[in-house]
Amino acid sequence: MRCRFDTIIRIAVVLLIPLAISGCISLRIDKIQEGVEIFPPKDEFARGKTSLKEILSCYGAPDDLVDMNGDFALHFRKALYRRINISLGIPLKNIALPNPSIGTTGNLLRYDTVVFIFTVDNVLKDIKFEKGTSRSLWEDYW
Amino acid sequence: MKRACFVISILLAALIGSGCAVFGRGKDFKPFDENSLKQVTAGSTTAADVTRLFGPPNKIVKLSNGNAYLYERSIDKATGLWLVVLTFGNWDKQYDRIAFFINNENTVTHIGSSFNAETASYAMPF
Repeated sequence: MRCRFDTIIRIAVVLLIPLAISGCISLRIDKIQEGVEIFPPKDEFARGKTSLKEILSCYGAPDDLVDMNGDFALHFRKALYRRINISLGIPLKNIALPNPSIGTTGNLLRYDTVVFIFTVDNVLKDIKFEKGTSRSLWEDYW
Repeated sequence: MKRACFVISILLAALIGSGCAVFGRGKDFKPFDENSLKQVTAGSTTAADVTRLFGPPNKIVKLSNGNAYLYERSIDKATGLWLVVLTFGNWDKQYDRIAFFINNENTVTHIGSSFNAETASYAMPF
């Protein structure tokens, strides 16, 4: 029985430590995602040949549609935002007025984007693709 | 001893329960019906038919060879979890979209559609 009691005390202490330091240290991780996965354009998409109908049947409705003085562009995009916040502090509000603390936050918003530019005859003129979310999170941030 | 065990058990339960979770759901609603697309045929359906079936578009884009009518609605789902010193937040937003390309004779020439709003999900940020 004594042994069991000691075990409970140990577990309680381990669990109480985070509670005791909850005002001193905190870690927050956030993720915001908007839009579905953007796939790279197929190899068979060819400038001067591929039609608007083929692109629409493959990618669906665009996020945005822009007139370009004759030509027009379809814009498909996925946005991915990540945020990490770490803060350290000494909660002295109840003891003294100064409440020293230090915190750091990192925010990074990246995009996967494909843009198809069409002529007035609905024929593909140009393609631009970028997979922003596949790059290193660390390198992109710094 | 039994009383001590009981008190510690209560404290542990309170400690574990001190975290908190939040789930949220938002909707940017536009009452268009996916099945109405079956009534739209490129080359014969007119711009008036489109607005009769789908209502006024969210956006009209003027193109040099006509217009484009864009319809959009979305669902977003948010998840939050607080565990004493750790906080996790996740927000996922997905869209249903339809684009009608209409020529200068007011006839639909191309249709693009994607219905992903229902794929928005509750999740953790890792």
